[in-house]
Amino acid sequence: MRLTRHALLPLLLAAFLPSLLGACATRPTADDPEAVAEFKQNNDPIEPFNRGSFAVHQTIDRYALEPVARGYRNVVPQPVRTGVRNVLANLRTPVIFLNDVLQGESRRAGDTLGRFVVNSTLGVGGIFDVAGNRMGVRAHDEDFGQTLAKWGVGEGPYLFIPILGPSNPRDLGGFGVDIASNPLTWVGQGAAVDGLLWGRAGATVVDTREGLLETLDDVNRTSLDPYATLRSAYRQRRRAEIGNRTGAPAAFGTGFGAGAGEPSAPAGR
Amino acid sequence: MASRRFFFGTALALAAATGGRDARAQGADPARAAQFIQATGQELVAALNSNAPVERRRQQVASILRKAVDVEGVGRFILGRWWRQASPAEQQEYMRLFEETLIRNLSARFGEYQGVRFSLGRAQQRAEEDVLVNTIIERPNIAPFSLDWRVGNVGGQPKVVDVIAEGTSLRLTQRSEYSAVVQRNNGQVSALLAAMRNQIQQLAAREGR
Repeated sequence: MRLTRHALLPLLLAAFLPSLLGACATRPTADDPEAVAEFKQNNDPIEPFNRGSFAVHQTIDRYALEPVARGYRNVVPQPVRTGVRNVLANLRTPVIFLNDVLQGESRRAGDTLGRFVVNSTLGVGGIFDVAGNRMGVRAHDEDFGQTLAKWGVGEGPYLFIPILGPSNPRDLGGFGVDIASNPLTWVGQGAAVDGLLWGRAGATVVDTREGLLETLDDVNRTSLDPYATLRSAYRQRRRAEIGNRTGAPAAFGTGFGAGAGEPSAPAGR
Repeated sequence: MASRRFFFGTALALAAATGGRDARAQGADPARAAQFIQATGQELVAALNSNAPVERRRQQVASILRKAVDVEGVGRFILGRWWRQASPAEQQEYMRLFEETLIRNLSARFGEYQGVRFSLGRAQQRAEEDVLVNTIIERPNIAPFSLDWRVGNVGGQPKVVDVIAEGTSLRLTQRSEYSAVVQRNNGQVSALLAAMRNQIQQLAAREGR
């Protein structure tokens, strides 16, 4: 039997089924339409599995990510942190540019290209956001998950992945494509280059977590169910991002180091 | 004479009816909504930054929120489908706890909000019947961020019905949160009420510090 692409998916599913079976949320019965509507709205058929991942993530966060981010904020002065954030954002612009183009957003693509040229030169390798602060060309974010959404690809079921955060198959796949499509992933080889790439990845995680300190503090402190709060916030926020309705881009879950600018603070809670 | 009075009466009734319909069709008025947010925001910032004792400041904040927020409407929206499953006593208790949570969430943060400033941001826009008023919130040592206030027309008065940060609506998020709590406790609204009471206690404890 020839293994076609169509045959591959059921095989994959079969391989994962045992682990997922025990982790499926019970779908409400049809005689409760409101409960069914909410079940669809949450879009979280493997909720028990996701909650398990969330618990793992919260432990990693409490003992590693959060303390490191707090230390970073306490030790490194604000202007330096802004410089680090700008450099990381600048390194990401090729990916943003590519996705601007793939979405047919020529104007935004022009903005991104201009920002890259100006900030890499006048902005001394991206340390200063000259294009944004002096020329009024503000940063925006794009990623391949958003491009897929623009192309009509559905998000698929909600996923929570430790360290990466809230996601879904579409955004997770997009995250992989973003890494693969960044020219930086492919420059040279050897220990030095590897070190730089890992350094960049690590810096991105720390910078992102630092930017989310207030938001996540707030969620953890005041939400009666942080998992549900993050799920709702992530899905709303992605919808806004896909429609290009957000002002400053922010990294929230999948897409560590998304764009530049300041992450949003929570709505006064 | 009688016919004349009748005419006037009809005209008045008609005017009232059409006027009423116009007001409802228009929903909230953008200029008025912006003015309302400006005024409320200034009041709130003044209360947050005042040197009055915590207790006094909490009372000020409470009265501003009661005046400016459609507490009843927002509270019901957030409880969503569980509202009808709750007993009348639970509904009443929920409303009381919801309002208290709203107030305590601010009063527990008086320290953090010292020095807060706000300004009206880019132009307001319509959202269905409501108006979104954009503001920029600035706090010392924290990058400024943008908040949208959704202002509805409730009984002829502009009232805040939602707060939106970067595309994330507070009332939608909170509805998801509360519903998850009820669901994970076998559909018991009383479990949510217990969790809310517990949270208020924790917030009150923080306030003292």
